[in-house]
Amino acid sequence: MSHSVHSHPQLDVQIERKFVPKAKDLGPDVSWAQINKDVLRSLEKPRPAFWIIFFSALALFSFGVYCEVYQYQNGMGVADLNNPQVWGLYIATFIFWIGMGHSGTLLSALLHIIHADWRKPIYRYSEAMTTFTLLTAALFVMVHLGRVWQFYYVVAYPNERWVWPNFTSPLVWDATAIGTYLTSSLLFLYMGMIPDLAICRDNARGARRALYKFLSLGWQGTDRQWGNFKVAYMTMACFLMPLAVSVHSIVSTDFAVSQNPGWHVTSFPPYFVLGALYSGCSGIITLFIVLRYVFRFEAYMTQPILNKLIKMTFAIAMVWTYLDLIEYATTWYGSDEVAKADLVYRATGDYALQFWGMIFCAMVMPFTLLIRYVRHNYTVLLIISLILNLGMWLERFQIITPTFAKSHYPWTWTSHWWPSWVQWGMVAGSFGWFTMLFMLYCKIFPSVSMYEVKEMVHEQNLEGKLAQPVSEHAHEAGLPEGGQA
Amino acid sequence: MSKQAVTLALYADPDEAAGALKELRNCGVPGFKMDDVIIKSPIDHPELSELLNHRPVYIQLFTLLGVLFGPTTGLVLIASAQASFIYQSRGGRPIVPFPPDMVLTYELFILSGVLMTVISTFIAMKLPGNRSPLYNASVSEDKIGILVKAKPENIPQIDEILGRHNPTEIKGDHTR
Amino acid sequence: MSLSNLIQNWQMFRTRRPYEDQYKDAPYKWAMVIDLDTCIGCNACTVACYAENNLAVVGKERFGKGQAMHWIRIERYWGEGEEMKTDFPERGAQYLPMLCQQCEAAPCEPVCPVGATHHSADGLNTQVYNRCVGSRYCSANCPYKVRYFNWWNYPERAWPNPLELQLNPDVTVRSKGVMEKCTFCMQRLRAGMDKAKTDGRILADGEVLTACAQACPTSAITFGNLADKKSKVARMWKKQQVDLAKNVQDKTEEGIRGYRVLEELNTYPSIVYLERLRNFAA
Repeated sequence: MSHSVHSHPQLDVQIERKFVPKAKDLGPDVSWAQINKDVLRSLEKPRPAFWIIFFSALALFSFGVYCEVYQYQNGMGVADLNNPQVWGLYIATFIFWIGMGHSGTLLSALLHIIHADWRKPIYRYSEAMTTFTLLTAALFVMVHLGRVWQFYYVVAYPNERWVWPNFTSPLVWDATAIGTYLTSSLLFLYMGMIPDLAICRDNARGARRALYKFLSLGWQGTDRQWGNFKVAYMTMACFLMPLAVSVHSIVSTDFAVSQNPGWHVTSFPPYFVLGALYSGCSGIITLFIVLRYVFRFEAYMTQPILNKLIKMTFAIAMVWTYLDLIEYATTWYGSDEVAKADLVYRATGDYALQFWGMIFCAMVMPFTLLIRYVRHNYTVLLIISLILNLGMWLERFQIITPTFAKSHYPWTWTSHWWPSWVQWGMVAGSFGWFTMLFMLYCKIFPSVSMYEVKEMVHEQNLEGKLAQPVSEHAHEAGLPEGGQA
Repeated sequence: MSKQAVTLALYADPDEAAGALKELRNCGVPGFKMDDVIIKSPIDHPELSELLNHRPVYIQLFTLLGVLFGPTTGLVLIASAQASFIYQSRGGRPIVPFPPDMVLTYELFILSGVLMTVISTFIAMKLPGNRSPLYNASVSEDKIGILVKAKPENIPQIDEILGRHNPTEIKGDHTR
Repeated sequence: MSLSNLIQNWQMFRTRRPYEDQYKDAPYKWAMVIDLDTCIGCNACTVACYAENNLAVVGKERFGKGQAMHWIRIERYWGEGEEMKTDFPERGAQYLPMLCQQCEAAPCEPVCPVGATHHSADGLNTQVYNRCVGSRYCSANCPYKVRYFNWWNYPERAWPNPLELQLNPDVTVRSKGVMEKCTFCMQRLRAGMDKAKTDGRILADGEVLTACAQACPTSAITFGNLADKKSKVARMWKKQQVDLAKNVQDKTEEGIRGYRVLEELNTYPSIVYLERLRNFAA
């Protein structure tokens, strides 16, 4: 095609323009050997900030463990939960964490299905984020149980008395959905990691080599392996998309199937799913900036990619805002007086600060993402992404608490209920637990996908080759620099 | 089966590797088949795999089996567990209520689909397995390796073909 | 098993409850009527319940935190509608004894993950302590908030020696981390029904009473077997034109006082309250 237009100078110029100004996600001269070197270096010598983050997380986690032990010994009473306020921060933070776990899969699976290549340098750590947020969420299911030592009653295991869990309970759906999601996303993460583990194996020594050798299962990159790998990866991505949507829909049924005002809402499943994607996307932005600095990934986590991520976050934030407002609107214009009173109580009652805080942090703050300065200043962006997630946490808090405070039955209308330090300690501990696991993961496993970045470079080069058929560099274009070395 | 020797050539340029594969296809060395050629590469090179004989992928068949097996078995197990449990009605709902059971059926549909996909993939990829003795660490970095199995007496001929396309290295294991 | 048996069993598995005449052939369906006009708010029912069911006394501080364990509680309300609030403060509170409503379609039941709470054949909403894992979902979904959770390990301190001797041996002492609630004095009903079965009859009306009904000095609480059409409870329900299986009652008569609390939530409670009468003119 390019040869036919060459005779026409004007058209030629147009084609030049079409290819040249396109912002490349990666720099043009990343060599494959360099990719290996950069990513493998992240496993060995991160910046000192890594250890600061890791040990602060460890300290927070230890405090969380102390709180749990204290609660385990003394009973749930130490959390200052009471008759109407039976869930408190535990379930609010559970939803928060499970929501955080949704964008990793969205980013990875959805963008893989639609062949959006910019996912490639950032999907690995997003998937790891999914896995560890799910583990953290599962932790909250555990700590909120009155008899955590009997948690296995929820599992449908065969037993001689033919006693089964209640399959109609949303909590059993939760357990199944989280189990399925954790299994699937862990397998998805692992499957996508096998070629990279082989790279690690080829370059590591000692105990690490033994670990990578075991985990890479003897991958050698044959055509048969690649052919099957691609099909399997795409198939799993197709499963994970609807799975991610179903998981948070099911979590929303914890509330939507109940009778309580403010929970008994039909629009809850999409509202929860979008809220999950929203907080997950801002979580990915946070970790993007942290990893970029800590592991020196500047060459792979680039501004064009971050820009796309921010655009996606903004779009999701707007959909979430719409769903949130439409929920209030339907309640307001409906004739369910109790739900209406609950809505008014949320906005004006004891928890009005949290309500308006949510509105400010999660609905107003995303508009700052439209400012170019914010998108390009990593410190400001880090703070804003944390504020967005604070807003999403407040959203979960104000779903749970005001509804319990002013439910159907007036006798239990509590005044300003506030969780005890044990609950706050466990919330803090969960952040420590997540950060600790995530940082450990990034230290042990490649958090940027090496082989997929190579694919990306390969495709960029192919594109460049097609764009400049007469260039004297055409011969080298398909060949990454340093490939000869 | 007669004794076989193996030779591995490493290429830095996919186009050169493609040239080597094309020439191997038409080389007419007696007793040599394209099925004996294996490409090893750091990323997927569909354009090179096309030059080999078609190697079918059966994973999706297993996935289909998984998605058929999972939900049916799941629903039967859930419904029979509800029916065989001590007669308990809850919240005025029927003992075996189908709409709520659909939630779990759906999850099992996905779970068994994913598990079957993963299991069949590992079988198809022959993992876990041992690497071939000629494995070269540079194919996980930036080289494309072409591994050819042939009778020992044909190896020089094949090495010559491979050598015509600027390989960075050719090495053979002729002892087997 | 014949085919018709199979279909019949299947029908049973697929039926929604409550339905019309559900307890027609059943020997028992326990129900209650509470007359708010007679209730004087003396708390005798609560005390009786504490004694009968081994309820822990939690102390002032924990009570203030909302961690009390009273299966039946006397709720005090000042005012009836807007006008009462200002005009008749000196008339004092009106009382509402609130206990588990033993709903026929109880919201707490379908949400329990382990099936610790379910409906018994005699129409009670039962709680299996041994099975409970303490997710508190039942309490979250109970519109009446009459489920009480063992926030602390009460057996440790609630009955210091020799007070443990006062515990009712027929009733479990619940450990920390399980949910509990009013059982309609299940232990009395069970013993009574077993005795009657040995004698080859069903329980007579008034033969077994719950502790609260027994203790009430003004007989505000009437307890009985709704399946027995001649029982006092059944006659009162009929007179108040309350049908167990309906969520909207068609009341044809003027001036009847019976209602069920939060009936609009389709919980089909087993307790009918009789509205308090007030002479507004006085």
